[in-house]
Formats: sequence, C-alpha cells, structure tokens
Amino acid sequence: MELSDEIRISAPKDVVYAALNDPEVLKQCIPGCEELIKHSDTELEAKVVLKVGPVKAKFSGDVELDTAGAPDQFSLVGQGNGGPAGHAKGGADVTLIEDGNETILRYEAKAEIGGKLAQLGSRLIQSTAKKLAAKFFTSFAEVMESQTVA
Amino acid sequence: MNKELSREERADALSGMGCKRKRVEDARFTQGKGNYVDDIKLPGMLFGDFVRSPYAHARIKSINTDAAMALDGVVAVLTAADLAPLGLHWMPTLAGDKQMVLADGKVLFQGQEVAYVVAKDRYIAADAVELVEVEYEELDVIVDPFASLESDVVLREDLVAEDGSLPDGAHGPRKHHNHIFTWEVGDKETTEQVIGDAEVVAEDMFYYHRTHPCPLETCGCVASMDKVNGKLTLYGTFQAPHAIRTVVSLISGIEEHNIRVISPDIGGGFGNKVGAYPGYVCSVVASIVTGVPVKWVEDRMENLMTTAFARDYWMKGKIAATKEGKITGLWCHTTADHGGFDACADPTKFPAGFMNICTGSYDIPVAYLAVDGVYTNKAPGGVSYRCSFRVTEAVYFIERMIEVLAIELNMDPAELRRINFIKKEQFPYKSALGWEYDSGDYHTAWDKALEAVDYKGLRAEQAQRVEDFKAGKTRSLMGIGLTFFTEIVGAGPVKNCDILGLGMFDSCEIRIHPTGSAIARLGTISQGQGHATTFAQILATEIGLPADSITIEEGDTDTAPYGLGTYGSRSTPVAGAATAMAGRKIRAKAQMIAAYLLEVHDDDVEFDVDRFVVKGAPEKFKTMKEIAFAAYNQAIPGIEPGLEAVSYYDPPNMTYPFGAYVCVMDIDVDTGVTDIRRFYALDDCGTRINPMIIEGQIHGGLTEALAVALGQEIAYDDMGNVKTGTLMDFFLPTAWEVPNYETDHTVTPSPHHPIGAKGVGESPHVGGVPCFSNAVNDAFKAFGLRHTHMPHDHWRIWQTANKLGLHG
Repeated sequence: MELSDEIRISAPKDVVYAALNDPEVLKQCIPGCEELIKHSDTELEAKVVLKVGPVKAKFSGDVELDTAGAPDQFSLVGQGNGGPAGHAKGGADVTLIEDGNETILRYEAKAEIGGKLAQLGSRLIQSTAKKLAAKFFTSFAEVMESQTVA
Repeated sequence: MNKELSREERADALSGMGCKRKRVEDARFTQGKGNYVDDIKLPGMLFGDFVRSPYAHARIKSINTDAAMALDGVVAVLTAADLAPLGLHWMPTLAGDKQMVLADGKVLFQGQEVAYVVAKDRYIAADAVELVEVEYEELDVIVDPFASLESDVVLREDLVAEDGSLPDGAHGPRKHHNHIFTWEVGDKETTEQVIGDAEVVAEDMFYYHRTHPCPLETCGCVASMDKVNGKLTLYGTFQAPHAIRTVVSLISGIEEHNIRVISPDIGGGFGNKVGAYPGYVCSVVASIVTGVPVKWVEDRMENLMTTAFARDYWMKGKIAATKEGKITGLWCHTTADHGGFDACADPTKFPAGFMNICTGSYDIPVAYLAVDGVYTNKAPGGVSYRCSFRVTEAVYFIERMIEVLAIELNMDPAELRRINFIKKEQFPYKSALGWEYDSGDYHTAWDKALEAVDYKGLRAEQAQRVEDFKAGKTRSLMGIGLTFFTEIVGAGPVKNCDILGLGMFDSCEIRIHPTGSAIARLGTISQGQGHATTFAQILATEIGLPADSITIEEGDTDTAPYGLGTYGSRSTPVAGAATAMAGRKIRAKAQMIAAYLLEVHDDDVEFDVDRFVVKGAPEKFKTMKEIAFAAYNQAIPGIEPGLEAVSYYDPPNMTYPFGAYVCVMDIDVDTGVTDIRRFYALDDCGTRINPMIIEGQIHGGLTEALAVALGQEIAYDDMGNVKTGTLMDFFLPTAWEVPNYETDHTVTPSPHHPIGAKGVGESPHVGGVPCFSNAVNDAFKAFGLRHTHMPHDHWRIWQTANKLGLHG
C-alpha cells in the first residue's frame, strides 16, 4: 500500500521540523495515540489504538528516524504489533520545502499490513490509511497555526 | 376384498427407481430439526479454540500461556510441546506427507494452528486465545509456486536431510527443497514429436485459481473419552467416518473397537470435510486429558483460511491438430500449488488425482501429462470441490484448450468438438492416458443440446451483436459458452484406488424385519445428497418392499459396515452398487423361502415387482412381506431363520458420466457485469434413480460452478495474507445471481454397474465451470481475446474489455 500527499503549513520550515520531532505535538496529532515515548533523537516508541472496519486493536510499535537530511528532509521506518489483530510495518519519506513564511510538507509512505486487520479490512485499509494520514496532517497544521499565533 | 392391483400400480406403490420420490430428509431439515455437530451438547462439555498465526511464514520464538491460563474458566492450553511426548504434534496427511497439528517451531501459512485453548464456554475460549502471547520472527514469504521452485528459502526444513540432500517424498524424487513430487503419465516423446510435426498447434496457460468449497456448516467435532470403559466417541463433520476411525486409531494407538465415529447430519461437504484436521486431534487429546467431552467448531474465517482449499493449478497446454481440425496429440504440464503441507485428498497412486482424464471426451491418439507439486506459504488442502479427484481441473483444461484450438483453426468450436468425439462404437474406450471409459454416446447428446438452444441461431445473433457494437448501437456483447465434459467418478477399484492404504470399496448391510420393513446401513454418509431417499428407492426395486418401509442409516461406525465415505460422486457408483448387490442376496434367499411356501422348486418361481410368483401361474405368489414373516417365524428345512445380507462392493471400473452444456451470456462492456440469459444442461448419468434429486443436484452444482467461474476465490497478497477470509470478500451466490437452469438428459447406462447408474452430484460443477468461463471468453473472441483467467468477476471483465480497447 502506498500513500502520498502534500500539505501547506503556516509556519517556517525549522519550526515545522522541530514540531515533527516533538513527542507532545506528535501525540496530539497521531489519531488514537495513547502514549509516545522518545528514547533518543531518532528512536520513538508508541502505543496507538487503531480501528479498521470491524477490528479495533491497540498497537505498540517502534519508530526509527533518519535525520541525515534535516531539516529539508527526513525519513522514518517503523513497525507495530497489535497481537491477535495483526501487525504492520512501513516507512515514510518526508520533504519540507520553504515557501515564504510557510512550509510545504510532502510525504511518500509505504505500509504493509498483516494478520486479521488485512483479512477483514483489506478493502478498507487504503481508505482508512488515507483518512488517518489526512487527520494527522490536519491536526498538525492546526497545532502549528495555534503555536504560531501564540 | 381389495381390487387386484396391476403390475404397474404395484410398482408405483414401491416408489422405486426412476420415480420422483420426495426427499424423506426434508421433513426435519425444513423444520430446523436436523441434528448437526454443533447441536450435540454433552454433560460437562468444554470448548476448544485455536490461537492461529497472523504470519504466513515465521519462526516461533516463544509461546507464553500464563495470562490465558489465569483467565477464569480456562482449563488447558495445549502447544506443540504438550503434544510432542505423545507423538501427536505432527500427523500424517492423506497425501503421504505430514502436517503440524500445532506449530512446531515455525508456521507455514496464515491461520496455522499454534495453540489450542480449552475453556468452559466458547466465549471464554475466544478471550483466552487473545491472551496467549506468541513471539514470531518473520521469514520471507512465498506465495507463487514458480518463485518457490527458484527460491533459496526452505519452507520445509523437516524434509531436508542434515547434509542438505533431499530425501524422496511420498511420490518419488524431489528436485528442489520446495518441490513435492513430479507425476508423469503418457508418452512424452511421441507426444512432443507429434506436436513438433503438427500442421496446427495451439498453446496456452490456464490458471485454475485457488478457491474453497465453503459448505454452509463449517468443520467441527465433539470428542468424548469415557475413561471408565476406555472408549472414545468422536462426533464430527466427516465425509468418511470409517476412514477417520482407522486414521484416529493409527495415530492415537487406541484400538479401533474402542473408537466410535459418528457423522450426524452434515450441512454440505463438497470435499471440505474429507480431510483430518488439527482440530480433531487437539479435541481428542483435550478430551483424554480432561476426561470430559470437548467440542471444536470452526468459524467462517477459520474454515476459509485453513481447512481444505481446492484447485490452484497452473496448466500449460499444447494441442496438435490437422488443418481440418482432427486432434493428433495433447501435452500438459501443471504446476500445482499445494501450500505448506501436502494434504491433498487423492487416491495414493494418483498424486494429482484423476487429472489424466484431461483428454476429455475426445479421441486423442497420444498424450502426455506431467504435474509438479510445490510447497508455498498457503494453507494445505487440495481437495476435490464438488468433483472427483482433480477432474474439474482436467475438464476445464481440455475445454479451454479446445476453444483456443478452435480460434487457431478459425473453426466453429461446436464442430471441432463433434469431429473429435469418441464415437459410440468405440466404447469401452481406452484413453491415451490410461483410462477405460465404460460407455457413452456423445454425438447424440451434443446434437440434442445444440438443437435445443438453436445453436446456429445463437451464432447469427452473436455476429449481429458484434456488428451493432462496432457500429455503436450497443455496449453489450454476447458470449456463447460450450462444454462437453466426461467425468470419471466412483473411485474406485481397490486394485488401483486406496487412500492411506484403505481400499476404496463400499458397503451395504440390510436387515429385513419380520413384518416386511427394513433397515439398510451403508459405509457412505449423506451431506445433503438425499441418500435416505435414493438408496431406499434402489432397494425398493431390488427387494420389492416400499421405499417408505426402508430406513437408511449411515455415519455411525459402530453400526454401519465399513466404507470409504461420500465424495468424488462415489456413493451411487460404489455404495449404490453394494446396495443393489446386497438386495439381490436378500432376493436370492427370499426366492428359496417363496419356493418352499409355494411348494415348488426354487427355479420355478420368479421375482415380480413385490413378490415371487410361480412361473406360468402368476395367481400363485408370495409377497415379499409374507416371505419376510416366514423367514423369521416358519421353520424351513435347510434354511436358517432371518433375512439379512451384506455386500462389500469393489467396483471393476470407474463410471464415466458426461454432459453437454450451453451458456448464453450478455456482458456489459462498460461495467463488466454479466447476465446469464440462458443455461442449458444435458446430463447423462446412466440409469436415473430419482429425477427430482438429480435436478436438485444439477441446480446446486451449476450454482457452485457459477460461483467459481465468476468470482469465488481464495486470494493472497504478497505477504501471504488471505484477502478473502470472510463472506464479504468470498463470493457465495444468492438467488440474485443465479439464473434459471434448463435441464435435460440422455441415458447411457454403465455396463458394469449393477443398476447402470453413474453418479451425478458433481457433473454440473465439473461441466459448469468451463461453460461459464467459455461464455466470457467467447464474448470477446471477435475482438482478439484468446484466453483470460478466472474468476471472471466484473472488475476483471472490465479490465479485459479495457485491454482490448473497447472503452474507446
């Protein structure tokens, strides 16, 4: 499954980059996120409640960031396990482009879903993932705007 | 004094062979009074449920059952480690391979059984399943059989020797660690030479996708070990209860007389309930361990994902012919995807079943077939979904091959079939791949079918439709699907047919009661076929007692004679023959009794519908009812009391039902939606026992054929996830999709069967699948399509139309 999109955020690039690395911001924006612990600058641990079709499960997972190209771009890989509900792994490449006082965020993500989630939700996964991604970035843009205003 | 009934009236009163007797089973089924496995409730019964692998290929690093065991109501959690000391963590498969009962260090397909939870009710069991913590290490997944044969990934480490060499499998040498067997039949050299020299050769690859029988009732059992008398009773959805008893005895070491297997009412089998599954083994072990009965019943997802898929054959074919269309040779190589374990249900000597019936209804002088079985990360199975062993694959192959050859020759496919049919006078016909077809009259059946549908008129209409389409007057195309199939059913002669060494005879035991009613028990088991109705009809005609006075009982191994069960359309050809033969034994004794009562010599009485009459003096007679009473209650010198008989029937040959089907279909090019305008099915199953039941079987078989051809599949993604694990994604047709069927018949009795019957339950499925598929392919023929794979769902048909440039 592949997802890609771009979104305009009313904040300068370095602010956006900093927010993307701020566990508190991320926790607010990731749909269903119950816990987000930053182990180091490149290692995060998350607990997320996900619902796809009839399956609702708590996923716990690890995310690893590659910040070599920061702040213009960074990538992340992660995997999560929802026990009997299934499992997922994936990654995303994120690019930040400065446009005046605003930033264009572009992402390309790939994900593989397995287990019951995939069996029961195969026809729902793509649309659910799109919805979740959209939700994340909408929340993220809102948080950025409120921060900028503040 | 009652009026003396005529001979015909007496025959009608019996409801014997040939009459449309109403199904005696339906009174209980239509009132919800059937007794299925899940209806069995025993005191103190526990419930089992499986922890199943979410991964298609993974190593198991640890299993922690503590949290599950701590849940109130959980009695036990079994893992491979618990079964290993009993030697039950693996079990033999029907195909000579072995299969993990519970994951022993790794899993090979998604849904594989990892641990078995036993709890006080099934909800607690299901909750406990979620509490079992299993740590997996993912391994590379292989879902493509061709890739599997090239891959370095070893799926079955247990089948590789320590030095890396490959020990022979159950069917000979293996050429790769993911290879199971190669099976070759026919004359390779001559066939390839004929194809090399031929005037015309058609070649193509036909994929018969993986699907599933999906009976409405899933698989299940109740195991009940009586620790006091040491007797195990196993109720289950078994299509072969006696074979299950023997296999359970061999695996468990419990003596066979201490095992009683009972198949109660079964809600459809279609091959899904032939195999032995981990659920049965775990339930038996759990009952032995706990000392109380344990029930296990699959849910729908478990059924679709884990027990007995069907098909998954990649069939590459070449067919040679003269310019005039006379077929000169047939070549086929099949790559068979068997999943993680080879659990195909085929007679031992036939690792690809009767796939070598693939020369079909045609007189093909030389042929060659090779089948390579391959392991992949998919569920095991490979059963015959409403067909005799792999016959559906064979018939689909030859009937698509013929259509492709017709394109190559630019010839009408009906005519191409006609000029290649085996002729009536050639029977018994020995095929190039080794079968002896018992009887047939293909030309008569074909002509009757083509005339019934006005074949020429249909072709003219189709040509006009193509013109109209090109002229922009319509967006609909018309397909004419033709199929002429020959089945091979009724396995089978013990000399070449056995499963796990068990010969494929069948049996019937008859006990006549003193007042002239009877009970007959058989080694088969009905799963909806209506055995209680039809076998009583056979007996009514054979022994002259009314069918309504004859009880048919099957499925209890403590009472029924040994037999190999019901699948592969074998009940009528084998157990039906045993029934007739046992009936004749009854009649032979009845004849002696009648002669004694009538005070004439045995040879001076003859059977007449429901009585024995003195030859030449029909007014002197004894009815079978009178004879039955005398058999028990009159001292007859030289004849022991009672009237019973048993027959074990080892068929001399298979039977070869055939049929001619035509499907007329309209296809909306822009949506891919198919509309079956007409479906005509002519079946020749030899002697017809109950025309109503035959018609019902044909309707059901055609509907399952429609399902398979037009959408039903078990699909996997690259990670080995089953994408069609629920009835939302797995297509089961409803009244909405099912067209009106026109049925017809000819009667060509089997010369070697006691009543000439051949079996019919699977014919419509075997013939129906290629017929629907040929209709779809035929619709696009005028636009250059040679072949497109099933299942022909709307999306795939739309894609076909799109690739052909029909969307402008």
